[in-house]
Amino acid sequence: MSWFGFLEAHAPLLVILFPLCGGLLCPFLSKIHGTWGKRVVMVCLFLSVVLSIWQLVLVHEQGVLHYWLGNWRPPYGIELAIDGVNGLVVALVSVISWLTALYSSPFEVVSKGSKGWVRTAGYYSILAFLSVGLLGMASAGDAFNLYVFMEITALSGYGLIAIGEEKGPIAAFRYLLTGTIGASMYLLGVGFLYAATGTLNMTDLSIRLETLGDSPLVILAAACLVVGFGIKMALFPLHGWQPAAHSYAHPAADPMIAGIMIKVPAYGMLRFFFYIFYENSPVMELFFQAIGIMGALGILFGSLKALRYSAYNKILAYSSIGQVGYIAMGFAIGNIYGLMGAVLHILSHAFMKTGLFYTSGALKYKYGIHEITSFGQIYKDMPTTATAMVVCALSMVGLPPFAGFFSKWYLAMGAIENGQYLYVAILILSSLLSAIYFFRIFEELFMGKRIEERKKDGPLPWQMLLPLGAVAAAVIGLGLGNSSLVSELLKPTLLEVFLV
Amino acid sequence: MKYKKGRKRAAFGLMLTIVLTAMAGLKVGSFLPIVGDHNSPANSYVANYYIIHALEDTNSPNIVTAVLADYRGFDTLFETCVLFLAGLVVMTILPPQISPEQRKRLVKVDNHSFGGTVLDSSFRLVVPVIMIYGIYVLFHGEVSLGGGFQAGALLACAYLLDRIIPSFDNRLGVLWEEKAVVLAGIGTFFYAFTGMLPMFCGGKFLEFGKLPFGIFLREGTVQLHSAGILMVELGVTLCVMAIIISILEVVLERTDFEEWRKSE
Repeated sequence: MSWFGFLEAHAPLLVILFPLCGGLLCPFLSKIHGTWGKRVVMVCLFLSVVLSIWQLVLVHEQGVLHYWLGNWRPPYGIELAIDGVNGLVVALVSVISWLTALYSSPFEVVSKGSKGWVRTAGYYSILAFLSVGLLGMASAGDAFNLYVFMEITALSGYGLIAIGEEKGPIAAFRYLLTGTIGASMYLLGVGFLYAATGTLNMTDLSIRLETLGDSPLVILAAACLVVGFGIKMALFPLHGWQPAAHSYAHPAADPMIAGIMIKVPAYGMLRFFFYIFYENSPVMELFFQAIGIMGALGILFGSLKALRYSAYNKILAYSSIGQVGYIAMGFAIGNIYGLMGAVLHILSHAFMKTGLFYTSGALKYKYGIHEITSFGQIYKDMPTTATAMVVCALSMVGLPPFAGFFSKWYLAMGAIENGQYLYVAILILSSLLSAIYFFRIFEELFMGKRIEERKKDGPLPWQMLLPLGAVAAAVIGLGLGNSSLVSELLKPTLLEVFLV
Repeated sequence: MKYKKGRKRAAFGLMLTIVLTAMAGLKVGSFLPIVGDHNSPANSYVANYYIIHALEDTNSPNIVTAVLADYRGFDTLFETCVLFLAGLVVMTILPPQISPEQRKRLVKVDNHSFGGTVLDSSFRLVVPVIMIYGIYVLFHGEVSLGGGFQAGALLACAYLLDRIIPSFDNRLGVLWEEKAVVLAGIGTFFYAFTGMLPMFCGGKFLEFGKLPFGIFLREGTVQLHSAGILMVELGVTLCVMAIIISILEVVLERTDFEEWRKSE
C-alpha cells in the first residue's frame, strides 16, 4: 500500500495517535536532551493539523468517515465517526493546540535545582494530552469512549491550571471537584442509556432510542447529560469553577483552556441531543426550553459580571460564560439556522477567545500586566498584540466583517423564523453590553495615561507573533469565507439531522 | 459568629441535597431493569454477543479480558493514559527539588532500618513471593482472573515494602520519580506500539489478528490475539507500576523523617 493510501485509510485515528505518541515519549526524549521532547510534541501536533485538514477534504468528498478500531464491527467494537461538523471541530482543536504549543516556547517553565527538564517535559506532555483528549472527544463515535477522552481532557486541564499562577492550585482543586461531578453525571447518563438500550455506539443508540420514545430512563439520561455537559462547558448556573480556572491557569496554556476546552463539550451536547435523542418528542422540547433559559440567563449574567472587573483575564472569563450561552441558545432554537449559528459560534468564539488570551499572555510575558488600568497606550509598544486584540474584541462585539457577526446573524435568523423574539432581544442587549466592556478596554488601550518606565526591547519573539497573527487572520477569514463554509460543509451535514 | 452561621447553612444545604438525591435514587431504582434479568436490553444485546463469540474471536477464556483488551482495547489504552497522566501531573506540580548529591545523603542518613529484626527478616520472605505472584497475575490475565492493572499494583507493592523497611545497604535499588515517569511513558507507548504494528500489515489499529508474528504461530490467527493481549497487558503493567512508584517517591521526598524522629 502506498503511503498516501495508508494515510487516507487511517486518517481519523492518526489525528489522535500523533499527539498521543508525542505526549508519551516527551518525558523520555526530554531526559536525553532538554529540548527534544518539546520539539517532538510540536512536530506531532503539526502533523495532526495537516492530517485533520486533509481529513476535512476527505469528508467533503466521501461523506461520513468511519474507522473501526481493531476491525470489530460496531456496536461490538469502538468506532470513530467524522462528519462535516465534528471534522471542523477536530481541525479547530488541532490548529489551536499546535499554535499554543508554539506560543508556549518563549515561556521557560524551569524549576529550581538540577532537574529543570522535568517541568518542561511535564508541561509539553500535558499539553499534548489535552489535545489528545479534545480531539478524541470530538471524533468519538462511542458514548463510553467519549467519557474516557473527557477524563483525559479534565486531568490535563487540572495540571495546566495548577502549575499556573499563585492561586492556580486552588482554582484547579475547585475545578477538580466540580469537574468530577460533571464527568460522573455524564457517566450516569450513559449508564441509564445502556440500561435502556444495551448498546454504547452512538449510531446504534439513536436507532434503538427511536422505538423507546419517552421512557423514564431516557428522560433521566437526558437530564444527567445536560448537567454533565453543562458543567464541562460552564453553562450558566453550573459555571462556578470557570472564572478562577480561566484567570489563574498557566498563561501559556490559558488560550487553549479558555478557547477550546469549553467548546468541545458543547459539541458533545449537540451530538447527543440532535444526533442521538429523538429531538421532536414533547419531553425533548422541554429540555431545549430549559437549555435555552440557562443560556439566555448566562448571556446576561456573564455580560453584566464582566462589567464589574478590571482584571483582563476575569473580564474575558466572564464573557466566556455569556458566549457559551449563545451556543446553548442555538441548540434551544433548534432549527437549521439555530444549529448553524451554534456550530459557527463554536468555531468563531474559539478563535476569538484564544486570540484574546494570547494577547493577555503576551502582556504578562512582556510587562507583567494583569489589569486593564495599566494598559495606557500600550499599542505604541506592542502594535501586533494591540491589532490582534482589536480584531478579536470587535468580533466578540459582533461587527460585520468579522466572524462573530455571522454566527449571531444565523442565531437571530433562526430565532425570528421560530418566532422567539425574546432571544433576539437578548442577542441585541448582550451585544450592547459586550460593546461596553470591550470599549472600556479600548479606552485604556488608546487613550489611557502612558506609563513612561516601559523599556523598549524589541518586538515579541516570532513564536508568539505567529499565533497572534494566525488567530486574527482566522477571525477575519471565517467572517469573509463563512458563506462557502456553510454551504459546502455545515448545511449538508446538519440538514441530515432533520431528515432522520 | 458569622463564619459559624455560614457553616450551618452550608451543612443544611448539603443535608438537603443528600436527602433529595437519596429519594431520587429510590425512585430511579424502579425504572432500571431487575438485576440478572436475562431479557433486559443490557443483557440481551451486545453483552450476549460477547458471551457467545468471545472465545472463538479472541482465544481468551476470560471474557472480561477479551472485552477489556480486545473488543474495547482502545478504551483501555486511554485508561492507561489516564494513569500515566496522573503521575505526570503530580510530578509536574511537585517537581524534584533536591540535587542528586542531596538525595544520596538523604538515603544514607536514613541508614537504620524502619522496623526491627522481625520486620526485616519477614520482608525478605514476603517480597519475592509478591513479585512472583505479580508476574503470575500478569501472564494469567488472559486465562483466568488477573491482568495488567493488578499485576502493576502488586509489583509496586513489592517496591514499596523494599523502599520502606530495610536499611540502605540491603535495598534492591531506588527508582526516582522522574525516571519512573519516563518508564511509565515507555510502557504506555509499548501498548500504543502494539496497536500500530498491525497497521503496517494492512490491518486496523489494535487488530491483533494481523500482528506480524505469523511465522511463530502456525496454529491459526486466533493465537495472535493471545500474543496481542499479552503485549498490551505488559505495557499496562509497566505503566501502573511506575506511576504508583513515582507518586510514592514524590511524597517520600517531601516528608522529613529526621524531624519525625527528633519529635518522638
